[in-house]
Amino acid sequence: MGYRLGIDVGGTFTDLVLFSEDTGAVVVDKVPSVPADPSEGILSGIVSILARARAKPASVSYVAHGTTVATNTLLQRHGARTALVTTRGFRDLLEIARQRRPSLYDLHAPKPPVLVRRALRREVQERVTADGSVRVPLEAAEVDRVLDALAGEGLEALAICFLYSFLHPEHERLVAERARARLPGVAVSASSEVAPEFREYERLSTTVANAYLLPRMGRYAEAFRRRVAEVGVPAAPYINQSNGGTISIEEAARAPVRTVLSGPSAGVAGAAWTASRLGLDSIVTFDMGGTSTDVSFVRDGTPAVAFEREIGGIPLRVAALDIHTIGAGGGSVAWRDSGGALRVGPESAGAHPGPACYARGGQAPTVTDANLLLGRLGPGGLLGGAMALDVGAAERAVAALAAELGLSPLETARGIVAVVNANMAGALRVVTVQRGVDPSGLALVAFGGAGPLHAGALARELGIPSLVVPPSPGLLCALGLLVEDLRTDAVRTWVGTLEPATIASLDKLFLELEAEARAWLDRERVPAPRRSLERWLDMRYAGQNYELLVPVPEDVWTGGGVEPLRARFLAMHEAAYGYAADDEPIQVVNVRLVARGRPDPPSLPRLPRATCAVGAALVARRRVLFDLDAGFVDCPVYDRARLGAGHVVEGPAVIEQFDSTTLLHPGQRATVDDLGVLLVHEG
Amino acid sequence: MDRITLEVIGAGLLTVAEEMGAALIRASYSTNIKERRDCSTAIFDARGRVIAQAEHIPMHLGSLLGTVEEILRRYPPSALAPGDMFIVNDPYTGGGTHLPDINLVAPVFAEGALFGFVANIAHHADRTGEKIRTIWDEGLRIPPIRLLEGGRLREDVMELLLANFAVPDERRGDFRAQLAVNRLGERRLGELIARWGLATVSAACDELLAWGERKIRAAITAVPDGVYRFADAMDDDGVGETPVPIVVAITVAGDRMHVDFAGSGPESRGDLNVVRGALLATVYYALKAILDPTIPANGGFYRAITVEAPEGTIVNARPPAPVGWRTQTCQRIADVVFGALAAALPGRVPAAGNGANAAMVFTGVDPRTRRWYVYLETLGGGAGATAEADGLDGVQVHVTNTSNLPVECLELEYPLLVREYALVEGSGGAGRTRGGMGIRRTIEVLDHEASFLGSLDRARIAPWGLAGGRPGGCGALVLNPGTGGAQRLPSKVWGYRLAPGDYVAILTPGAGGYGPPGERPAPQVRADLEDGIVDTGRAAADYPQAAGGESNGR
Repeated sequence: MGYRLGIDVGGTFTDLVLFSEDTGAVVVDKVPSVPADPSEGILSGIVSILARARAKPASVSYVAHGTTVATNTLLQRHGARTALVTTRGFRDLLEIARQRRPSLYDLHAPKPPVLVRRALRREVQERVTADGSVRVPLEAAEVDRVLDALAGEGLEALAICFLYSFLHPEHERLVAERARARLPGVAVSASSEVAPEFREYERLSTTVANAYLLPRMGRYAEAFRRRVAEVGVPAAPYINQSNGGTISIEEAARAPVRTVLSGPSAGVAGAAWTASRLGLDSIVTFDMGGTSTDVSFVRDGTPAVAFEREIGGIPLRVAALDIHTIGAGGGSVAWRDSGGALRVGPESAGAHPGPACYARGGQAPTVTDANLLLGRLGPGGLLGGAMALDVGAAERAVAALAAELGLSPLETARGIVAVVNANMAGALRVVTVQRGVDPSGLALVAFGGAGPLHAGALARELGIPSLVVPPSPGLLCALGLLVEDLRTDAVRTWVGTLEPATIASLDKLFLELEAEARAWLDRERVPAPRRSLERWLDMRYAGQNYELLVPVPEDVWTGGGVEPLRARFLAMHEAAYGYAADDEPIQVVNVRLVARGRPDPPSLPRLPRATCAVGAALVARRRVLFDLDAGFVDCPVYDRARLGAGHVVEGPAVIEQFDSTTLLHPGQRATVDDLGVLLVHEG
Repeated sequence: MDRITLEVIGAGLLTVAEEMGAALIRASYSTNIKERRDCSTAIFDARGRVIAQAEHIPMHLGSLLGTVEEILRRYPPSALAPGDMFIVNDPYTGGGTHLPDINLVAPVFAEGALFGFVANIAHHADRTGEKIRTIWDEGLRIPPIRLLEGGRLREDVMELLLANFAVPDERRGDFRAQLAVNRLGERRLGELIARWGLATVSAACDELLAWGERKIRAAITAVPDGVYRFADAMDDDGVGETPVPIVVAITVAGDRMHVDFAGSGPESRGDLNVVRGALLATVYYALKAILDPTIPANGGFYRAITVEAPEGTIVNARPPAPVGWRTQTCQRIADVVFGALAAALPGRVPAAGNGANAAMVFTGVDPRTRRWYVYLETLGGGAGATAEADGLDGVQVHVTNTSNLPVECLELEYPLLVREYALVEGSGGAGRTRGGMGIRRTIEVLDHEASFLGSLDRARIAPWGLAGGRPGGCGALVLNPGTGGAQRLPSKVWGYRLAPGDYVAILTPGAGGYGPPGERPAPQVRADLEDGIVDTGRAAADYPQAAGGESNGR
């Protein structure tokens, strides 16, 4: 036994959570990030938290971390100098993409720049056709000529993508082998390994992004591993992936594109885990930060996964939690449009200069400024008072906008909050109502610095009966890292009609994928009882082009045949699109396997029963505006750290803590449970 | 109505339209809708004014507005009932803009009265005629008729429809998706009204319309008063070789604008004619793009802007003029509006884009399945250079914005092979900023005989540059390029027989450059040379400043 350490590296702060497997004790810490060398910030964080916990480095048995190295490398376009080898006639596909312009009406909207310039996109003669047969064979001599011509270009990475390589990977393999020999030191990435799925542009884009990330991610992984070893931590580090599971840092360095969308996924895992301990399996997660808000739906404890995502205009075909992000957060700027309407975002004041009330030179009114004027945030400031807020500056910023709108400053502040809440309610609808999920059977889990401040109004707006505020809403991502599964997703394209004869072929493919997965689980030393393998199929009606991801029922392989699978597809189609046709042929397109290794579930310490009345946690009173007509209401302000298990707080009220503020609307009631969670219901 | 409630309801209406749009793409069957996204959705009030839309294609607004208007003209609200759903495509009796765009429109009732309509439109790429001279040659004309009555599908009507299409299975699947999408919209709109109350939502719709009008008037006021003229031309009328002029005069006076197309050429013999709904949608697109991309699409727009075009011209055709490829002409209409306003708003309007709706359609019997197939693809090209930036390469411009069909989807579904999909080197007009490049796509017919339709414009009259920028490259259709039998095809060709192994290349037009080429930074020109975007000869002629020195490419 020993310690488990979760490290979430953000742009400004690195959050750490240390959990003792022996005592159940949890220690948290927050240190500044070092963007120039993220592993340095992590190092000082590890030293700091181990000192706080008086723990020996040698006793840390598990380290998982979430990083934005891959994400930022793509967004800021400072990845490797990369070349591409592709099928003759198709080198411009990377640029043409899907031939849509980025904005229907904005003629000045740029296309995202491509990661490989035209001069470095090289073609070779070869062509495979739709049935996987070779129409034009690949000549090794031509491959060598093309690779040798690239030798003087100072390349760091090479992407290889041919048409139909998911059916016939041999051509890509040949180029990869020869490239490793002829271009030493150049990282190589082939589409048949990175994303063996049909639709050439998305596969190409994913492969190029992977190549572009390989060298930097390789260096980062190496530095990270070394730093962790240097402080004396013996555990091999793990990294969080976009699919909401972790993987060893060596594996991540081989397929860095899998970590690009990992940012918010640990928070979802943390939220699902927190909720499951309360017996709540179907939840909506609501993670509101300074510039953006992430929402997602978790059914029966399992976050939904999607395979079509985009980052910075680059489509990626990787397994990623189905998280919906909108550009609205505490720092979002409010403005008046040319028709006189009040708008909020997507522009954000960010951390610098930040909202006007940060008094760092920001002039624009933001959501945070509005919350301050309405008394929802306290003038005492953020981070336990470490960061004071300037009410006067917020008033000036909001008043300037109010004059433009012809409204009073208070009406404007209330309006800003209403508009941003409407945007967020829209995002919550996208992941629930729009997917046929009734919110009245769900719980809302609010986290991120600003989540608990807005969640009460949103739960009410959507008719979500319970709201969960975890003990440390600002540190939920770091906690999530400790409870995530080890996970890998594998896929093969197999296009065919669903009929009894196909079951055997599918089973054969699944068995192959499972053999690979078992080898991985062996390498990761996951004991048998902690392993699980899930079979999924991408299915559609023959003729459609978008697939539904269908979990394969067990009895398909035990004599049930196609019927259980058909029934499940029909039910899902009906739920998704409002109709299902009994008589139409159904196609299978992709075969997917998810392999998981479940960690030992941490058992967090219980909060002692409250021994005194809730009044003991009352630290102040202040006036808060909920409703314009009702005006300001006198509200109690509680210190969350002083609340004990069993305490009940009646709204209207404000509950403050180091990393967040929870707002209870009139009629809402919060109960503190023995895990330290605030459970909010309508009274 | 307080402004905040208005914002919240506006966002709610938009969410409904967008959900309908997403569902249509995902549930439809034909590649043109599911992959190329040639479809749109919208919500209307009881007077037929758009209150929210999820548009993928600007052209579609003309059709949606026109069909709802036509339904209202024929049926007073008392003649409409819950569970009705209309199907419409006809430009002359139904408010459509061409026959492949089929609209499904359903009235929505609340508290016992007509609240408005939900509607969706999808381009059904089905049969193509040959030697088209009238609207009757173009396919089945559908005036507004009920496909659903009392919530029940009229099976006999469906049977009539399907009997008139070459690929009925695909049509049935697409219709099914279109029906389901309107029902989804109806349900969501009902939920929204239940949440806020009918009176509040109706008041919000009125206010959204007024807000839209304030925005457009504010934008027009910012344009200096005056009369701005521009003329350009279509290569031909689809049959002969004589160019057809497209002429505009735009009068700006205070917060009003009048757009007059007097002087434009006569109705074309070929299928390039534009009906009024398509003209309005095009003008709306162009003004919105130039003046303020955030102006909403609604009735307020047409109170501030008047559009006039003489009847019987190519821009305001009468029955039975054929209209199938009206998009070619609409692209030119957008070009002239851009050209005219370039003088009013220097620096804000880009040079001419590819100005075509370059299309290839292959039809035949798939030797693998013995079933009819129709494969349609419209291709992008160059986008015009702006004062600040090079034009985008290989994108759809103006009134269309369809995606391409992935090669690996295309070859799975059709007996065809894509030999090449590339940018056309040298097609971007020279300038301080360079025009975008066109696309070259070459498709081979495998193991069967196919009938080919090609439609292209700007094959002779190049897209213009602005402020000293040079024109972009012209488009072309070429049969079997690179062989002894290579042959240039007319830019508009129907029913051309292709033998097994034949292949056709389409080269779409590039776009105009902006500013004098001599002012383009030399390192930029050298990077273009390294990337093969211009060749050495053209670079020496257009950009003498670039001789020798460093490139800024990475």
